[in-house]
Amino acid sequence: MADDKDVLRDVWFGRIPTCFTLNPDEVTEREAEPYYLLLPRVSYLPLVTDKVKKHFLKVMRTEDVEEMWFEHEGTPLKWHYPIGVLFDFHASNTVLPWSITVHFKNFPDVDLLHCPTNSMVEAHFMSSIKEADALKHKSQVVNDMQKKDHKQLWMGLQNDKFDQFWAMNRKLMEYPTEEGGFRYIPFRIYQTTNDRPFIQRLFRPVSTEGNPHTLFDLLKEMCVCASEENRFQVVIHGIEPLLETPLQWLSEHLSHPDNFLHICIIPAPTD
Amino acid sequence: MKTKKWTVDKGRTVQSLAQFITRFLKLDASEQLFIYVNQSFAPSPDQEVGVLFDCFGSDGKLVLHYCKSQAWG
Repeated sequence: MADDKDVLRDVWFGRIPTCFTLNPDEVTEREAEPYYLLLPRVSYLPLVTDKVKKHFLKVMRTEDVEEMWFEHEGTPLKWHYPIGVLFDFHASNTVLPWSITVHFKNFPDVDLLHCPTNSMVEAHFMSSIKEADALKHKSQVVNDMQKKDHKQLWMGLQNDKFDQFWAMNRKLMEYPTEEGGFRYIPFRIYQTTNDRPFIQRLFRPVSTEGNPHTLFDLLKEMCVCASEENRFQVVIHGIEPLLETPLQWLSEHLSHPDNFLHICIIPAPTD
Repeated sequence: MKTKKWTVDKGRTVQSLAQFITRFLKLDASEQLFIYVNQSFAPSPDQEVGVLFDCFGSDGKLVLHYCKSQAWG
């Protein structure tokens, strides 16, 4: 369907206007100007912040620079979560641009994983895709791909090439027609009220009676209190899909490039 | 590893398991250890073992493979 392909493009090209400010405690040779950037929702911070690093390094001495890390209102931002998920979870209903503080010291080992190179991001990204396919197809599709196919997925993401990525990713979105969907849906639910990082469990896209499961069915099964609709919002890629949307459709069209459906449950604005 | 079966608290992370194996096998602490699920993917170090068990366990256990070099990643 032409409409559905548009959704894939809209998801891929989603951007978040962001303002990077240097942590005032960093030692600088002169004052650091903030740096503005449009961040791709579907990418990862280490892949798109080289310019941010270069900008702040201009006012700092090399000896004062350790591994760069980011924080929003005191919360360290996990580089291995997609950018859009970080924004939706931490800053959804705040004023744009998203303000992120940049640090070059005191790396918070407890909260963040180290990320010295882009190969680490690639390894993490490919692992997520493999984990998702383990759920969708018992790993059959991803294992049938060649190494160059895996590389194509990564290069597509890294270089922001929609067509290159989807030429390969569409294979991961196929399923036997008689099944009606994937074996299990790869999803993660992030809740501000939960002390665990996220909810991830087995869930089939079709019921035993053959009815398509909806987003509502998933949330209900995972005991997410989204039924109190006034108090919480269910956000995927910055929008609130109708709870009646079939989960299989969401998985095929609103997953991130890592093939996971990342769902944020956030408090609704109180005004 | 002679003892292959262990009971692990489900809130433990993959990273803490890797650290345990490194200590138990008296490996060099600086050496990296890779942990794999279903011989197909390496979960994130901060991933909870309980989630992996819920999604990829069978017959009441979760099978993990460990190695010092990248095998299936």
